[in-house]
Formats: sequence, C-alpha cells, structure tokens
Amino acid sequence: MNWRTAVGFASDAASSGVLATSIWRFLYYFIVLSVFLFMFTPVIFVFWVSVFENAVITFPPRGYSLKWFSNAWAAGAFLDGFLTSVKIGLFAMIAGLALGIPASFALVRGRFPGREVLNTFLLSPLIVPGIVAGTAIYIYFIQLELWTGVRMISTLPGFVMAHVALTIPWTVRLVSSTLVGMNKSLEEAAMSLGARPLTTFTRVTLPTIRPGVFAAAIFSFIVSFTDLEMSLFLAGPGRTTLQIAMLQYLEWKFDPTIAAVSVVQILLIGACLLITDRFVKLSRIV
Amino acid sequence: MGKGGKSRHNVASLAVPATLTVAGILFLPLLMLFRISFNQYDRYDLMIETFTLSNYTEILTDSFYRSVLLRTFEVAVLSTAVTLALAFPVAYFVARAPARWKSLLIILTIFPLFVGNMVRAAGWMAIMGNQGFLNQILLKMGLIGTPIEILYTPSAVFVGIVAVVLPFMILSLQSVIEGIDPNLELAASNLGAGPLMTFRHVILPLALPGVLAGTVLVFILCMNAYAMPVLLGGPRFHVMAPQVYQQITGQSNWPFGGALAFILMMTTLILTFVSTSVIQRQYRP
Repeated sequence: MNWRTAVGFASDAASSGVLATSIWRFLYYFIVLSVFLFMFTPVIFVFWVSVFENAVITFPPRGYSLKWFSNAWAAGAFLDGFLTSVKIGLFAMIAGLALGIPASFALVRGRFPGREVLNTFLLSPLIVPGIVAGTAIYIYFIQLELWTGVRMISTLPGFVMAHVALTIPWTVRLVSSTLVGMNKSLEEAAMSLGARPLTTFTRVTLPTIRPGVFAAAIFSFIVSFTDLEMSLFLAGPGRTTLQIAMLQYLEWKFDPTIAAVSVVQILLIGACLLITDRFVKLSRIV
Repeated sequence: MGKGGKSRHNVASLAVPATLTVAGILFLPLLMLFRISFNQYDRYDLMIETFTLSNYTEILTDSFYRSVLLRTFEVAVLSTAVTLALAFPVAYFVARAPARWKSLLIILTIFPLFVGNMVRAAGWMAIMGNQGFLNQILLKMGLIGTPIEILYTPSAVFVGIVAVVLPFMILSLQSVIEGIDPNLELAASNLGAGPLMTFRHVILPLALPGVLAGTVLVFILCMNAYAMPVLLGGPRFHVMAPQVYQQITGQSNWPFGGALAFILMMTTLILTFVSTSVIQRQYRP
C-alpha cells in the first residue's frame, strides 16, 4: 500500500515537510472514517431509538424496553405490509429467475446480431427512474382494467408484474457475470463423455453457476422488498407493501414503533447480504 | 451446444420471454405515457385525446414548475459535487486496502445501499426532528434556547440524499481505482512527484472514466429522489419526483404528470447516453 500517495489529496509532501504530511494523512483517515460513520448514522439511531422506554423521544432515554417490537407486531398495518412484501418479493424473484436465467444464456453463449442492444435493453429497467416507471405502469394498469375488467392496481399479480421489471435486470446482470467466467470445457468434457444436453445442464452447468443464481435470487428479493417508487402507485386500501406502510407512518410521525419496524428490516436485509457473501463475494458482483 | 447455425438460433431464442416481458411491462407503458403527455387535461372528462405541446410548454414557462425544475437541478448538482468529494478518499482507501479488509469494507458500503430508504429516512428523522438528537444536544449545551428547525429544511434533504448516493459513488470510483497499477504511483513519487502531483497527474486522469460514470449515476439518482424530499423536506419542499406523483394520483392530471415524468426521464437518458459515448470515445483502449 502506498500511503505517501494516499496522504496527498491536497498536499505536496516533498515541499511541505513531515508535519504537513502527517496533517494530510490524519485528514485522509478522518474523512474515510467520517464517511463510513455518516452512512451508518441513520441505522445506528434507528437501533437506539427502537429500544427507548418512552414514546416521546428524549436523549438520553429514561430507560430501555423491547415493547415497541411487540407494539409494531400488534399494529396490523406493518405486519400485513411485511407479509405482502415478502409474497411479492418471492413471486417476483421466481419469475425474474425463470425469465432472466435463459436470457443470460442467450446473451453470453449466443452469437447473434443485436446481442449488445439486447443486453442494454434487458438491463435498461435499472436506469429508468422508479417514479417514471411507476407512473407508466400505473396508467397502463388502469387502462388494462378498463379494457379487460381485470383488476390490476393493488392486487398481488399487479405488484408482482411490476416488480418483475426490477428482478429481470438484476438476474441477467448477476447470472451472466458468472456465466462469462465459467469454463466451457467442463460442459464439453461432459458431452464428449456421453452426457445428454439436459444432463450436462443439470449436472454441470447449473452447479457451476449456482452462486450467481443464488446472488440473483437474493438481490431480486431485496430490490423488490425495498422498492418504494413503483409500489407507491400500486398500493391501495387493503394491499400495501411494508415500505408504503412505513412511508405513510413517517409522513405523520417518527417514534420508537417505526424504529422497531426499521430494525426488523435492517436485520432481515443484513442477513440476506451476509448469506449472499458466503456464496459469492459481494465485492465482485455489485 | 452452440456449434451449428440451428442451435445458435436456439440459444438466442432463450432471451425471447424476458425481452417480451420487459417490453410489455415497461416499454409499452412508457410509450403510452409518452403519448398521453401530448393529450389535454379536462376538469370533467379528465383527458381529451389530442396532440398538443402545451403540457411541456407550461412546465417550462410556468414560474412554479420552473422553480421546481430549478430546485431539483440545484439539489442534484450540489449533492453530486459533495458526494464526489467525499467518496474519492473513501474509494481510494477501499481500493488499496488489503484483500482481507476489502471485502468487509465493500460489505459496509453495500449494506446502507440495500437497507431501504424508509429506514434511512427514519434514522435521519430521529436525529433532525424538533425533539431529535441534534436539537436536544444543542439545547443541553446551551447553544440554543429553543429547538431550531433542522428537519423540513433544504439542508435536511441534502444530507439525506448525500447519504443515499454515497455508496454508489464509492463503488463506481473504487472499481476503477482498483485497476490503476500502484506501481505507477510509486514510479511517479520516485521521479519526484509529491502526493498532490501524483494525484492530479496519475490517479485522477486514470480514474476519470469512473468519476464520470459515478457522477452521472449519482446525478440521475439525485434528480429522481422521492423519499428524502418528501420525508425530510416536508410538504413545502418541491422537487420533480413528488410532483409527478402528486399530478398523477392527487390531481388525476395524467397529461401534465406524464410530461413532468418525461422531462425527468429525458434528462436521465440524455445524460446517460452522452456520458457513455464520451467514455467510450475517450477511454476505449
């Protein structure tokens, strides 16, 4: 590691001496540490407030209690929202894998004209702003309801359909990056030893790309679970996702109950990320 | 698979279902929204089929919407600049950290990214509220007599947005800096360049594609921010994304909301397109 350069974000050590160098070095570490702290500040405070004794927040708190967790559980809106979000996330994840894995094969293995364009197209939902996509899908669903009479807004299939637009690009991105790194001669060896294409796929290909598929599954779930903008348009009375329930609550007030809900979400997503990291190094996929 | 022409064809066809789904769920609706943005709003019929540019001209001429656009732009430019400045040292630190530490640092960067905006907004509200941590600390220290307004100010939105986009910038920069051979820095310093000179003439030029990519990504995210302006900016803080939502669901003014959405998206698309073509032209090996 070359600290001499690391230090020098603004100083020329050669001309300004040892003292200046150590000041800049100190500043460098200080910024790095502060930025990490800054990113974690909201998370830390949510944890802290969730165990405050009193509903009215005072620092330092008068005591600590876990009652807000049972309180959040009892307030039906959050539990309903949580269950809805889990259902949407799982269905959207499965649909995203079913559509995205074959597409990744086509993109990595296929040699056809327009492959690059297709790749951009399948990843493009990631760059369409959520609020614009949400608006478009909302209006589309309402028109579909008018034409067909089938209810779409604030139904589970409606949510899942919209969220598939998020899970397909994540699946394509993560699965095709493992496919690119896969050694094709493994499959060729299996085939030359007499394995049929299907056997080769299930016994050789699938186990090799499993980490990518796993990462795709978990990231799809997380992205669907934490989606706000698209769900915003689709949520209605009777069917709301957890994020929308939290938004509506926070627009009104902040208290230890919503902090407890947040803690549950933090733990869930943290666990998902740690599990993923055991299969594929997060540093290589995001 | 994949030897003869026929099976090559088969492999390509595997992408058909996903392509149709993305087209049907996202692009068809976007096209429809685009068409609707040229319709006319009517108080009784809600929408009249026609072809007019009036929604777009109204956004660009009406003083309220001009100020909304301007404010959105302001917030995005300022947040992006500050994010870039803060993220660069961190990205360098992560990129040059020993392998063992690096994966931990990356997890620490990714975690806030995926934890969800509602959680982060809740945390900032605990800190910035009238009864929040910051006010109570300042009161106890005797620096202020009555709670000051921190939440529901532009500064609160700014802080919230910067915290949201920092991980994106760090990751974009980190991946590029990682590819810069540390020996180049050593060579520069052996040849007598100080750290500042090495940074300006070696690291920065080589990291420029990452700087550009990260800046565009973060700028787009800032332009489209919804949660932070709504929750930390309060009802009187107006930026584009919440206005789109308001027009579509609150006023049921689809043509105008559609035009707002498209102005927002065009900014995004043009920026992405221009920046990728610049990156490809300048930096393709």
